[in-house]
Amino acid sequence: MIGVLITTHGNLGNELIKAAELIRGSMKGIIHIAVDQTKGVEDIKKEMSTALKKLDQGKGVLILTDLFGGTPSNLALSFLKTGKVEVITGVNLPMLLKLPDIREGMTLEDFAHFIKDYGIKNISLASEILSKKVG
Amino acid sequence: MQDSLDIALVRVDNRLVHGQILEAWVPFLKASCIVVADDQVASDFFRETVIRMAVPSEVEVVISGVAEFAENNAFRRGCGPKTIVLFSTVSAAWTAYRLGFRFDKLNIGNIYNEECRLCCTPSVQMNDGDIRDITGLRNAGVQIELRRVPREKPIDLFEIVRSMGP
Repeated sequence: MIGVLITTHGNLGNELIKAAELIRGSMKGIIHIAVDQTKGVEDIKKEMSTALKKLDQGKGVLILTDLFGGTPSNLALSFLKTGKVEVITGVNLPMLLKLPDIREGMTLEDFAHFIKDYGIKNISLASEILSKKVG
Repeated sequence: MQDSLDIALVRVDNRLVHGQILEAWVPFLKASCIVVADDQVASDFFRETVIRMAVPSEVEVVISGVAEFAENNAFRRGCGPKTIVLFSTVSAAWTAYRLGFRFDKLNIGNIYNEECRLCCTPSVQMNDGDIRDITGLRNAGVQIELRRVPREKPIDLFEIVRSMGP
């Protein structure tokens, strides 16, 4: 199973996990790291490194972060490694809900691409959908 | 680089370019240029690439060592792109000041030290070196404000340092 690390500004990631578990039941192999003002950059990096080791069962780890250019994403990017660690920014709830379905049997690279596309596909403007269906 | 830079903000932030800069300060100041004056980033291609990718394409990014930045640029108010200058430490800002990069006001975002002597707020944890450099800048006439984001009320950092006594 591919490991999943969520790292966000404040507790956003933890709340996303809680919301996903509310819908789908408990999730395994997922860790959240909150980035706030009180932690030093080096401490967060250490925390991430420990979490990655814990999560990697040989299939690699996908890191989900909230904002490209933000501290969680900047730090996550320093762990980027082909076949071992992939990073996706702009995490949303549909992505989290999809994780359990496809974590087995896919390579990390395919898994990362799938989750990214799935997250994008699930952003919609309701009135646009309506006008398509009516028109 | 341009002939001259119009400095809108000089900031110490150990996170350099991050959410508060891109989402709050850049739109607030309508800045069109970000200077990262940091010796480590200037010699680390990966960190430099991450910063360049993170910044929107309409904002110019200049990455330079501290001394190189202070010595090789002209600064004129109202002339050149509106610029945010970022240092990762107070010491780097003080070095640049002494090498000729003059500013009236220094904004403090995040300072982090493991051996913290003066913890003003969760985001500002200073050691003896920081306090010494803050005092140096203040004695040179620089106003030092603690303000993470534009909407926050600025706090005079030197007043806090002074109230702590020697």
